[in-house]
Amino acid sequence: MFSLSSEAKVGLFVLVGLIILGYMSVQVGKQNFGMKKGYTLEVIFDSAAGLDRDASVQIAGVEVGRVESINLKDGKALVRLNIIPNVKLEKDAIASIKTHGILGDKYVELYPGTRGEAYLAAGEQISRTERQADIDKLLHQLGMIADDVRGVTSSLNRVLAGQAGEEAITSILTNTKNLTGNLNNVIVSNQEALRAALENTRQLTGNLNRVVTQNDEKVGQVMDTLKSASIEMEKTFTALKEITGSINRGEGTLGQLVKDKGAAEKLTQTLTSLQEVTQKINEGRGSIGKLVNDDETVRNINEGLTGLNRYVNKAEQFRTFLSYRGEYLFNNNEAKSYLDLRIQPKEDKFYILGVVSDPKGKRTTKDVTTLGVTTRTEEWDRDGLLFNAQIGKRYKDLVLRGGLFESTGGVGIDYLTLNDKLKLSFEAFGFSRDRRAHLKAGAEYQLFRHLYLSAGWDDFVSDQANRSIYGGFSIRFEDDDLKYMLTTTPIPK
Amino acid sequence: MNRFSGALDRLGRTVLVGVEEIGKIILLFVSVLTWMFRPPFKLRNIFKQMEFVGVKSIFVVVLTGTFTGMVMALQGYHGFRMFSAESLVGGTVALGMTRELGPVLTSLMVTARAGSAMAAELGTMRVTEQIDALSVMAANPVKHLIVPRVIAGVLMTPLLTVVSDFTGILGGYFVGVHILGINSGIFIKNITRLVDLNDIYNGLAKAACFGLILSLVGCYKGFNTYGGAEGVGRATTEAVVLASIAILISDYFLTAIMF
Amino acid sequence: MGAMIKLVNLHKSFGKQKVLDGLNLDIEEEKTTVIIGRSGGGKSVLLKHIIGLLRPEQGQILIDGTDITKLNDRALNEIRKKFGMLFQEAALFDSMNVGENVAFPLREHTTMKEKEIRETVADRLRSVGLTGVEEKMPSELSGGMRKRVGLARAIAMRPRIVLFDEPTTGLDPIMTEAINRLIIETQKNLNLTCIVISHDIRSIFDIGHRIAMLYEGKIIENGTPDELQGSQNPVTRQFLAGSIEGPIRIM
Repeated sequence: MFSLSSEAKVGLFVLVGLIILGYMSVQVGKQNFGMKKGYTLEVIFDSAAGLDRDASVQIAGVEVGRVESINLKDGKALVRLNIIPNVKLEKDAIASIKTHGILGDKYVELYPGTRGEAYLAAGEQISRTERQADIDKLLHQLGMIADDVRGVTSSLNRVLAGQAGEEAITSILTNTKNLTGNLNNVIVSNQEALRAALENTRQLTGNLNRVVTQNDEKVGQVMDTLKSASIEMEKTFTALKEITGSINRGEGTLGQLVKDKGAAEKLTQTLTSLQEVTQKINEGRGSIGKLVNDDETVRNINEGLTGLNRYVNKAEQFRTFLSYRGEYLFNNNEAKSYLDLRIQPKEDKFYILGVVSDPKGKRTTKDVTTLGVTTRTEEWDRDGLLFNAQIGKRYKDLVLRGGLFESTGGVGIDYLTLNDKLKLSFEAFGFSRDRRAHLKAGAEYQLFRHLYLSAGWDDFVSDQANRSIYGGFSIRFEDDDLKYMLTTTPIPK
Repeated sequence: MNRFSGALDRLGRTVLVGVEEIGKIILLFVSVLTWMFRPPFKLRNIFKQMEFVGVKSIFVVVLTGTFTGMVMALQGYHGFRMFSAESLVGGTVALGMTRELGPVLTSLMVTARAGSAMAAELGTMRVTEQIDALSVMAANPVKHLIVPRVIAGVLMTPLLTVVSDFTGILGGYFVGVHILGINSGIFIKNITRLVDLNDIYNGLAKAACFGLILSLVGCYKGFNTYGGAEGVGRATTEAVVLASIAILISDYFLTAIMF
Repeated sequence: MGAMIKLVNLHKSFGKQKVLDGLNLDIEEEKTTVIIGRSGGGKSVLLKHIIGLLRPEQGQILIDGTDITKLNDRALNEIRKKFGMLFQEAALFDSMNVGENVAFPLREHTTMKEKEIRETVADRLRSVGLTGVEEKMPSELSGGMRKRVGLARAIAMRPRIVLFDEPTTGLDPIMTEAINRLIIETQKNLNLTCIVISHDIRSIFDIGHRIAMLYEGKIIENGTPDELQGSQNPVTRQFLAGSIEGPIRIM
């Protein structure tokens, strides 16, 4: 029998073992061959968490090198990459650390950069890095969101579960049913007045249209702005019509308001006077009528709006409010209109520019001094516009205003409450030697986003038989709306 | 009180004996190193020991390696299936074998086979005065008996580990691809992706250390046998136990240093 | 002829047990000295001291005037080349066959060619009365044959001193006699200085030129066989007579 010496057996075994070892080494180390001769690039990451030495460096998923070393430099991770020589990177190459799947290894992904820039030479630094969504951070946020959701559902559960919750829901539904029933009644009984109001509005916009077509081209362009504004207003009035339909979202006070016969009557009166106002505007009477019929004014407003537009575009952090306010003075059977632009550069600071149309008109006095005796003559210009120009500053819930109130100097103070929905205000202006100052106290309540109801006591210390309870509403377009209008209507420069 | 102090006494003595034993083994190692490089070199002795430690252990190492790889693939598969990451089985088996199980299991098998035999053989030589006979014939027993065995242990254990690694991966491949149905290309791709050359070489370096430990301990225990046939039995048992423990403990530290 | 080996005031203890306690002994050149004493009385320990396997705690071992207790391993190995030793169980290397066993010291210490070695091995085996056993393994041999091979190995290097550790223990009377004859012949033929440890009373008077009595770590008598037989020392008398009565206490 053929037998081997121990030397031969050991030799054979060693040979076989080394062949296996060589085979495994070649298989495993295949990708390492040829890597040694590459060139080195540096890159600084905010964090190289999870990245190891010899981690892969890839471009578009193709391995082009290995991570040579990772060191700390100035609180950041300085990573040296060994790139194979035939891969060239541009100066604006981007490096980022990525992960193979969720549990996979970290590797460095390179975007080679724009062709045509200079190549990065050995030892240079890739200056641009990209931060990858950190899986830990992601999971952490998911965890917080889950906590929030759990909090919401558990409080919902607390509210809805149990007999108390059930009863509350039942009573809400009952209330809603009652409310919608009442509303229906209101609508039916006020159909006529509402229709009239809407008809007036239609006429107003129609007139505006006519004005636009009559004016020359330049002004015509300008009027496009106003046209869109009026369309917006029309939308608002349509919305007003829908308000009653959507009033079931409103508060209980409205329900009470519409139930109250007297209040409904007053509302009817208000709407009637609104009708008168719009009629006056239509005929070119009153300040707004003048406003829309006078070329000069229109040009001024145009310039103002253009400047404003530029201003608003320039400083987007500004908030601007445009408001129309109509007040009916019950004692005098007169309506008063305000058109205000409120510019609010900071949360607690604002400017108000506006015009006021007072049915009494604008008062001018003339003093004539003859031989030491002064006689004062007083004139009322019923078409004269009154101006508001005020600055205001807000301290928590308190707002102080000062400036021109209806073309006279004055001060005002507002108190805001119920999340700024209710505003109690006091104004004092029209200080004059020969008559008492004009004092006005009132409240304004935000019913919907753009609609406010107001009521108060106007000129209550008057010695001119001018004191009156007033009620009215105002429409106010807030920041977003105005921005929307300004950006969607082309305004010539 | 007496019982307590007695226990303390025993504890202290055990520790002292252990420390003394470690010291003696280290001295033996130093002596082996000095004699290893002193001519003449008895190549025949070395080859004989290499045949005994290496060639004759192939079968048992192949067997343990293959089945370890197979079991790892099976266990790993059930674990990874929870993450839908079955394809990682290949890499895991290969990493486990090359880094850890290959060296450790091979060393333990060699300890059981060859380490015990070293202790028994030298123990018998000691109690039958053959070691004395060597000394009397002016032949250094460390050079004649221990050096060849230590050389064989240090060289053959890594070589056996290579075999164990390879057959382990083959076993894992067989189970993973042919029984569990993992894609063979991905299986192999993950092995080459996850396993580094250093994993294999560090594993072999570990195996060499284990080979040194098991041969030194086996020789030390055999060389210092006393008390006849019973003493030989005791030396053999102690050699296997001590070498196994030393291998597992040193494995931790070697791993901590290397990886 | 002076003393070739001189032991001066040797002390050795294992743990608390004193084995050698101030032992003095001169061993004459080219004579056979038999050391007798009780089992476990330190005879083997004494022998291991002479050849340097054990070192005394105190005292000198002079071989040809050199104190081996102070020597390093290398120098000690040079001294050991003067020695041959036959162990109790022959201590043949199990892993080698008879030829290799006998050739071991030759291969270790000489530059002989393989052919010379083979001839020398055959010669040594012949001189202990064996032929054609080179290929046998030690385990295949009987006790007596192993002792012969052991002796052949011990004299392979032609040493000047041969130590025998209980050469006849465990052998039948015929084989005992044969081994005794072999020792006597070898000693005579090779002019050896022999030290024999034995408690086989029948043998010692045949082979020993001088007999030393070891008792409680000391040599209490040292003389010719005749002197020993006429000894008045009660210990020696009791030991030689094999009597239970006497100063040597059994357990």
